[in-house]
Amino acid sequence: MTQASAASTPPAACLDRLRQEVLDPGLCVACGACLGLCPHLLLYDGQVAAPDPCGLADGRCIDLCPQNPGPDPRQRRAGLQAARGLGDEAPLGPVRRAWWGRAQAADLGGRAQYGGVVSALTALALEQGLIEEAVLTQAGQRGTPEGVRVRDREGVLACAGSIYAAGGSLQALNQALAEPAEHPLGVVALPCQSLAAAAMGAHPRYPAGRRLKLVIGLFCTMNLSARGLRQVLGQAGVEGAVTRSDFPPPPAGVLVVTTRRGVSEIPLEKVRPITLKGCAFCPDLTAELADISVGAAEGSPGWNTIIARSRTGQDLMELALAKGLVEAKAVPEESWAHLTAAAAGKRARAGSAREEINHG
Amino acid sequence: MADLTKLAPGAAVLLQGNEAIARGALEAGISLAAAYPGNPSSEILESLADSADSAGIHVEWSANEKVALESAAAASFTGLRAMASMKQNGVNVAQDFICNLNISGVRGGLVLVTCDDPSGISSTNEQDARFISRLASLPLLEPATPEECLAMMRFAFELSEAIGNLVVLRSVSRLSHTRAGVVPGELPAGRALPYWDPKTRWFTVPVVPRHQVMLDKLARARSIMAASGFNRYQGPDRPDLLVIASASSALYAAEARRMLDVEGRVGILKLGCTWPLDEDMILSRLEKASHVLFAEEIDPFLETEIKALYAQNAPRLGVMNFFGKGSGHLPLIGEMTPGKLAGAMAGILGLSWLPVAKDYRLQATQLAQGMAAPRDLAFCPGCPHRASYWTIKQTLAVDGRQGIVSGDIGCYTLGLHPTGFERVNSVHCMGSGLGVASGLGQLKKLGFKQPVVCVVGDSTFFHAALPGLINARWNRSDYVLVVLDNSATAMTGFQPHPGTGVTATGQPGVAVDVESFCRAIGLPAQVVDPYDLGAAQEALYDALQQPDGLRVLIFRRVCALVQGRRGGHPWRMSVDEKLCRGEDCGCHRYCTRVFRCPGLVFDEARGRAAIDEVVCVGCGVCAQICPAGAIKAQAKEDAA
Amino acid sequence: MSDLVHDPLNILITGVGGQGNVLASQVLGRALLAAGYVVTVGETYGLSQRGGAVMSMVRVSRDRTMGPLIPENQATAIVSLEPLEALRVLPQYGQPEVVVITNDRPLLPINVISGQSSYPDLADLKAALGQVAGRLLWVPATQAALALGSPILANVVMLGALAASGILPIGLKEIEAGLAQMFPPAKMAPNREALSRGWKMVRS
Repeated sequence: MTQASAASTPPAACLDRLRQEVLDPGLCVACGACLGLCPHLLLYDGQVAAPDPCGLADGRCIDLCPQNPGPDPRQRRAGLQAARGLGDEAPLGPVRRAWWGRAQAADLGGRAQYGGVVSALTALALEQGLIEEAVLTQAGQRGTPEGVRVRDREGVLACAGSIYAAGGSLQALNQALAEPAEHPLGVVALPCQSLAAAAMGAHPRYPAGRRLKLVIGLFCTMNLSARGLRQVLGQAGVEGAVTRSDFPPPPAGVLVVTTRRGVSEIPLEKVRPITLKGCAFCPDLTAELADISVGAAEGSPGWNTIIARSRTGQDLMELALAKGLVEAKAVPEESWAHLTAAAAGKRARAGSAREEINHG
Repeated sequence: MADLTKLAPGAAVLLQGNEAIARGALEAGISLAAAYPGNPSSEILESLADSADSAGIHVEWSANEKVALESAAAASFTGLRAMASMKQNGVNVAQDFICNLNISGVRGGLVLVTCDDPSGISSTNEQDARFISRLASLPLLEPATPEECLAMMRFAFELSEAIGNLVVLRSVSRLSHTRAGVVPGELPAGRALPYWDPKTRWFTVPVVPRHQVMLDKLARARSIMAASGFNRYQGPDRPDLLVIASASSALYAAEARRMLDVEGRVGILKLGCTWPLDEDMILSRLEKASHVLFAEEIDPFLETEIKALYAQNAPRLGVMNFFGKGSGHLPLIGEMTPGKLAGAMAGILGLSWLPVAKDYRLQATQLAQGMAAPRDLAFCPGCPHRASYWTIKQTLAVDGRQGIVSGDIGCYTLGLHPTGFERVNSVHCMGSGLGVASGLGQLKKLGFKQPVVCVVGDSTFFHAALPGLINARWNRSDYVLVVLDNSATAMTGFQPHPGTGVTATGQPGVAVDVESFCRAIGLPAQVVDPYDLGAAQEALYDALQQPDGLRVLIFRRVCALVQGRRGGHPWRMSVDEKLCRGEDCGCHRYCTRVFRCPGLVFDEARGRAAIDEVVCVGCGVCAQICPAGAIKAQAKEDAA
Repeated sequence: MSDLVHDPLNILITGVGGQGNVLASQVLGRALLAAGYVVTVGETYGLSQRGGAVMSMVRVSRDRTMGPLIPENQATAIVSLEPLEALRVLPQYGQPEVVVITNDRPLLPINVISGQSSYPDLADLKAALGQVAGRLLWVPATQAALALGSPILANVVMLGALAASGILPIGLKEIEAGLAQMFPPAKMAPNREALSRGWKMVRS
């Protein structure tokens, strides 16, 4: 007997489109925007799946997905910027002010990525009551990153450092927003997640999204498949949970991985095959839809590049400066030029990748 | 079931066909009965088990049908009367033994009862097991009523002993599960002691001369059966239409003849002894008719053989017209009904006949089609299989490699249906899931990238799965075996099996447990509670990620119906309407639309899920799938 | 032995797995056998515990042995333990004179629970049954059974209603004797009460 399994419910437009446009072609980057909203979408060990039809035509998942660009990806981004009163300037997005900076607090020392500014700003936002809860990322089960909800400085410090693997931290944000509460929230987000966060904040059928008051963006060139990374690390003999991973700026050409047992370097050619396919379609290097974006300071280890985009972001950074939590200096022109060129390059590459998928 | 030795001889009592078969065996003085459960045959051994103590006989559920018949044959070799009963599929399992036993022969009367299942009411096929008689040259009896079940069983043992060979009695679902008045006879007073003279040997070689001996036995059977009175003709001496029918079809033919009011034109030759054919009787009827209709279930067995008999005698009989499955007057599939026969008879006799006025049927059909929602089969409320398939569905989805599930026979075969999320990809016969999985697990080196899961029940595991498992282990096949251990042969009515440590008669046996067996062949088996969805998904995911080789998980949780008899489940479930998301984005009736436990209903008016307290057993699993935490489980003693 | 309203008398008992359909047909079969009739009770089960429809066919004659299947469109009466199941069997077994006696309490099919199909409005269902039944008895059997303490007694309430319908050649006493063959004396009181309530619902 051969019998095709009959779908028990008529296919739903929202989840079906997500499947057709994102999941099935392998464009999902496991950002988590669709997770935690409903039980139909699952994340396990870095993989997103939707085993059952959801039966709704107008669910939110497809609207929040950063990998679902719609007919005009640029227009979608511009629309989300406009919704918060900002523009879609090329190629770095809205820039209210930029610095090179690093955190001053000693407890942010070793573990935080680069200059520790993200942790410092998050902790400050909690202490100031700008937000009462922040969603960060932490190595969870099986070493893949997971969203984690924190309410104080200790919680922030426990999450310091970053893991270059897909892991759906926005799932925790959606779950937090689904709870019957009123308090403001913040999130530390990759560029894809910053887009999703902006979509949550603007979605007409997601009123709880208005509780999201602060998005601290992270620069990102690419992300890795969680399962692929575990395999590569296994092959390289790296054991134990990864507490921190890092792509040092060129010409390093390696992924530096820190575990409790020590530090290992993985050559980039081993890493490229496990890059998420969907990242090639992302035009955003610097988290343009965040309130404030933070990344590496090129050629200056221990420092961050910081771009304030919204009034909220700028106020937070200036308060951190005033309180002496972060020290800052001007971004060298040459470095700014490199960053601008890199951002323009990512926009261009994403554009042609999209062209290819649309017409090829 | 009840103790059949307690029935008063001579007083009519309402007996099921299967009970009548059992009573007939007791009256014939059997000493040993063995079987493997399978609808529609199970009640035969169940009622014998309930009678075993009083009758002083050995009754057992065997690990499979072949072992059952072999055990019964052993008793026969020592001079005792014995029987084995099984459903049609079981005959296939026992076939290898049958096709050697027929040559070796038997001593004490030995009867094989096969209960076929036309229309596959509770089977994976509607195979006609009468083939075994033709194939193995064994006498075949086909009773039509419970009364005949009893009488034919008594006759079958006499016949078996008279010819020294196995006799087959064939029932079908409709007969096995029909109750009618039966008048029991006397039970035997005593029986001989078993003894096997060491000088006697039971074997099959040299084959050719012993083959001849077997055929001689069949010829002897022909004359004994002709004198049995089980073949009868009723009708005009020279009918316009001769119906040759066996079993229930003979009753349906009589009924059809009345419905058409053609009792003066149609004769019915009811054959109770259907192999070897009573050629003299059949030829004498063929001589007096020119139009013949065959009525039988399922294959055209009599039809084919009697046409062959006719061909042999055609010069004498002249031109005749044969109708039935060959002519297209009756379907080759599905069970017989009085209406099908009435339609065929009417067509042959040139009458017009409808069971009811056309417009009545049309109106009733339109109303039913418009209103009567189908009633699909579903796992019972609280069934561990629902939870197990949930885990398999979710885990294979996040595994993301398009895993394949090889299924097997039992309640969990319903994994093919929506109640098991259609998460089973293939099902054939007992144990074949492991063989199919064993083969799939070898295809990786040929480029097959999909992971393979095999599900098998605990009873099936012992019945026919072991060679497949050993093969997979030996040849390094790569798959995950999930034993769905509900500690019962649930599908057929909770009979014990080797893993339960209880025998058919309720005596303590020795429990053979799945994990010890697996360990013995070097497979550590992890035991998981399928009600704990998180732990089960974790365990299955881990097993799927392991590189090469066979892995075994045992999803162990007692059948919900058995649990119900043992005092029930611990939880009182409720839905917090304030938390329930109803039909909104974020849920959309996940529990009733996707999980689909009959204990959950959707209150359309309120737009919220609800617990049907009459149906819900309180297993607590649905609380784990609710995205809003709206389904609450409260301990029953606290709730009470 | 009284005459039958029709020989053979064909009583189809339908319902859903777990409703006690087979038990009801056995009680009836035993009672009729004891009264001297030739009885055949065909049962369809196997997957009955799994929520599917279940049917029993009770066939009664003064003198002839009947096959286990009621011929197409020849049911004298349909006793249904669930109202939708009554409608489901009518195209195949109903005829213009058929007496339909049905419990009024729906048991939702899993397809309805899942939202794929819908259960008809009860008034519409009753009207539809009325259109194709010669006579319709709409019996709140589950309600009566619940009042007696257990929904499982609905099958016995329905036997009482069947006895009251005038189709059977036997009365309540004979059915009660049939029940007594199936139940220990201690359990007879609620069964007797259920039988009597079923009778009264039709006769009063």
